[in-house]
Amino acid sequence: MAVEASPSRFRVGDRVVVKRENPSGNPRTPHYVRGKSGVITLVHGVINNPVDHRGLYPPLYTVEFSLRVVFGRETKDSLWVDVHEEWLEVA
Amino acid sequence: MHEHVEGVKSDMHDYEAHLRAVEEDLEYYRTKRFEPRIFYLTRKGVISLYDILKAHFFLKSKSEPAKNQEKSQKGTVARIRELEDGLDDYVKGISLVASGSIKGLNMVIEDNRKERGDYDEFFRFAKKEHPGSLEERIEKLEQDIQDYQLLLDAFTYALIQRGLVDEGELKKKREALSVPSVWNGGIIVAKAWVDPTFKAELLEKGREALREIEIHQGRLGKLGVVENTDSVHNVVVCTLCSCYPYDLLGDTPWWYKHDIYKKRIIENPRRTLEEMFGLKISPEMELRVHDSTSDVRYMILPRRPKDTEGMTEKELAQLVTVDSLIGAGEPLNPPRQDAKGHEVQPTPRARGE
Repeated sequence: MAVEASPSRFRVGDRVVVKRENPSGNPRTPHYVRGKSGVITLVHGVINNPVDHRGLYPPLYTVEFSLRVVFGRETKDSLWVDVHEEWLEVA
Repeated sequence: MHEHVEGVKSDMHDYEAHLRAVEEDLEYYRTKRFEPRIFYLTRKGVISLYDILKAHFFLKSKSEPAKNQEKSQKGTVARIRELEDGLDDYVKGISLVASGSIKGLNMVIEDNRKERGDYDEFFRFAKKEHPGSLEERIEKLEQDIQDYQLLLDAFTYALIQRGLVDEGELKKKREALSVPSVWNGGIIVAKAWVDPTFKAELLEKGREALREIEIHQGRLGKLGVVENTDSVHNVVVCTLCSCYPYDLLGDTPWWYKHDIYKKRIIENPRRTLEEMFGLKISPEMELRVHDSTSDVRYMILPRRPKDTEGMTEKELAQLVTVDSLIGAGEPLNPPRQDAKGHEVQPTPRARGE
């Protein structure tokens, strides 16, 4: 039986920006990436996770943020943060 | 701070999702891991269907009649929990009579895949559906788990009767299985080091690939597996809770849940790895920090240590540390023999060594 999944809005390589505020979104979206822009590196889609959530959450993505962008540090290192779709906008 | 409770204590929100997970696993294990094995063994003449039939009647004659009247009084949550426990027992039971535990049977994973129809539609086992209302679905699944377990019990007993499985050993293994072992991590990593097909599946499918190696995939979200290479080092954190594939890899080290680790690894990962863990990442390498949610729980596939070419999977598994699965450490170095020929214990290895 297939999970009813809404199609993912973004694709790998898309530039996105994390919303600054989103009262109805998943509160577990790290504060340090809010308002920052990054690139989608993985599309996980809608994940059936009955142990943790009531119902289904929107599609999940891994978004790569440069540590330079997030903390202004001179480095090539990066943060790969998993963010649900309702938090993301086209950059 | 930690809102969702890990493991079985959490509240059940979505009955249908739980049922779907049970149904999917149950049919996978029956059609891919169990029944093909019976057919394989009967074809080879190792065991016969009549052995299984006789074993069933023998077991039945010894057991007490089943009590059915309790079931209807139980609530939905309790019944679904029982289904999940029943599934766990079934999966563990199957792993106890895996091909590796049957004397004189050398069945490789390739035989398994062939036997169960991975390569040929004709041999594929049909999966069963359990349609209807929630109540009906639960009832059908209860009946099936009960039936499937009967066949598994009979099959297991038939193997014992034939002397293909040692009853004492089986009991010992069963007891060992009830303790979740951090060495699942070792088993998974060692397998990925030696088997490229498994590694590719693991990286692509996560938990689903584990069914191949008789590890119950658990139900805490998806498993993300990230490979450390010579040019990229990965490390995992969960800054807003402490998500981790606990069901698979056991408990995390204490520091994983600590605010200091969460804050520092994000802000300055290189320095944190060096100062907190003595792990120096060379300047040429890229460093990626993965901040997870409960939906995808990550483990790192560490690099295989040097000078381990001749080692068996079992020996390799011993080199895998809890820290190395998070990316805060490297696997141990292989044990070396000292000048007198005594084995020297494995030592932690620094990055770039």
